[in-house]
Amino acid sequence: MSETQSPLLTVAGLKTYFPVRGTPLGAAPRFVRAVDGVDFAIGKGKTLGLVGESGSGKTTAGRTVLRLIAATAGTVTFDNQDVFSLDNKAMRSLRRRMQIIFQDPMSSLNPRMSVANIVAEPLVVHSGLSRRQRKLRVGELLERVGLSAQYMSRYPHEFSGGQKQRIGIARALASKPDFIVCDEPVSALDVSIQAQILNLLSDLQADMGLSYLFIAHNLAVVEHFSDEVAVMYLGRIVEKAARDSLYALPTHPYTQALLSAIPVPDPAAASSRVRLPGETPSPVNPPPGCPFHPRCAYTRSVAATLDKKETVSIVAGGEPARIVARCTREIPRLAPLPDDPSHYHACLLKQG
Amino acid sequence: MKKSHETNATPVSRGLWADAALRLLRDKAAMACFAVIIIYAAIAIGSPMVFGDWSAAHDYNHRNESPSWQYPLGTDALGRSVLVKVFLGAHVSMTVGFMSNVIALPLGILLGALGGFFGRRIDDFVVWLYTTLASIPGIILLIALKFAFADKVLFPGSFFELDLSGMAGVYVALGLTSWVGTCRLVRAETMKLKELDFVLAARATGRGNLAIMFHHIVPNLMHIAIINFSLGFVGAIGAEVILSFLNLGVQNLPSWGKMINEARMDLIVGRWWELTAAAGATFIIVLAWNIFGDRLRDALDPKLRNV
Repeated sequence: MSETQSPLLTVAGLKTYFPVRGTPLGAAPRFVRAVDGVDFAIGKGKTLGLVGESGSGKTTAGRTVLRLIAATAGTVTFDNQDVFSLDNKAMRSLRRRMQIIFQDPMSSLNPRMSVANIVAEPLVVHSGLSRRQRKLRVGELLERVGLSAQYMSRYPHEFSGGQKQRIGIARALASKPDFIVCDEPVSALDVSIQAQILNLLSDLQADMGLSYLFIAHNLAVVEHFSDEVAVMYLGRIVEKAARDSLYALPTHPYTQALLSAIPVPDPAAASSRVRLPGETPSPVNPPPGCPFHPRCAYTRSVAATLDKKETVSIVAGGEPARIVARCTREIPRLAPLPDDPSHYHACLLKQG
Repeated sequence: MKKSHETNATPVSRGLWADAALRLLRDKAAMACFAVIIIYAAIAIGSPMVFGDWSAAHDYNHRNESPSWQYPLGTDALGRSVLVKVFLGAHVSMTVGFMSNVIALPLGILLGALGGFFGRRIDDFVVWLYTTLASIPGIILLIALKFAFADKVLFPGSFFELDLSGMAGVYVALGLTSWVGTCRLVRAETMKLKELDFVLAARATGRGNLAIMFHHIVPNLMHIAIINFSLGFVGAIGAEVILSFLNLGVQNLPSWGKMINEARMDLIVGRWWELTAAAGATFIIVLAWNIFGDRLRDALDPKLRNV
């Protein structure tokens, strides 16, 4: 790890709130706190895996970084430029360097445009290439992502999901970006295709020195792919560490639960799955204190060993539970592990 | 290579429009209806040239004759051939159907796409406009407009001179009152489209609002426009019949509505042919447009593709 080189992308204190439409009588304005104070950095040629359940805000975070959704607070610095303060013209030229790949290959391609026009769109905006040169470049790009250049004149409905995803990747590559947000690029594909697309993405990274923000809900997918992994819960990062450290020593109870949910391809393996009671709480009305406390198994087990004064009883997922009182009062902050300063987590009880 | 049914290996690709056209060509019912529409259009264009000046065509020796070889659909109270009247009525109906759509469709698409895409104040205005319009019963609004148009001539003396007291008034009034349905559909579809990932991808690559509208939204709305053209055509023909029945329609030209109006007292005395001819002519074209519009929607709907 080179500490001297400044990262390509730095995100600090990022918040994205969506207003909830109030009643006509003018109730207090409320917000969906989709992203609620997120910090991370991605070095050149590196991959940060961003993991979480649906509703954790990971997709919103990715789109806010690209300024596709307006941020409520925080800064994004890309190659020493403050992304949120750029004017339209500067932003447009920065967009050449930041691209996105979507989850749903179906809706990410315009059904009325030919593949040639889809892939050429970034070239139309950002390059001074002539029509002929664009066509040549589209052919190269299609070959690069493993499709035949002959497919150029076809339309999206003529392709399978995996092929559509390759077209989406070719479009993202067209403007020669430095950074790509991969928004669950394999979640909609079946498993055999997932591996092909992941291999393609890592080949491209090696060839072109790309940096990825790789969003996924599946820790197993991220493991093969990331240099660093951040786990999100209800708009916040609850644990962030180098890949090996996170998978070897998951510290936050939520990360532990997610990891235990990865299926092991061995029927004899003892299953020690951590069950999470209930569902992700509403980001409009997050639980006080640690947002994970209603579902946390760890606080329950700690509470059993503590004096009654230090615990409170709650009802979570329809079941009563006793948990540590502190978890409902204090909002946890990310702090490093004592023996690994690059491994951050946000568990009050484990921070001591 | 032999041209058997399509496989994934066919190197030549058809665009979506060509694909839809091919589906329609293979659809016998759609083609039959299309043929009916073409025949009506040919009659509409040809009959004024063939039959020329209609006002002097009285023949008091052949009044109220039932269908015969000389007059296949009989004659009316002034001794005029009902068949010729039906043919000339097609001219009025098809012109009104076409022209009212030429006004209503662009209006509906423009307002719907603007409102759906930009939202906020623009959308509020569009929604206010069409809900206000939709809250007034259509036929009453149409009658009111037609009354207001009496003796009005737009752009007098210029190339665009438009005498609103006659047929032009009918289709302008119809055009101004019948865009609401298209607008609603287009607005809803635009709101859906603008949230799709391919629009986001265009934004991410630095496309502006205009380019997104032009390249990504409007091409995906065209199927709605085409289907609404066929539906609007039917509505316009019906409305013209009603207006003419109320003596607010075209003057100096026979129309199906006027024929029904003139013939309504005839049925009691057993003269069925004029009413039947006008109602039948209306029925066939309305049916043809309805079936054709339905098949067209199936052919153009991307969701029904590859099934």
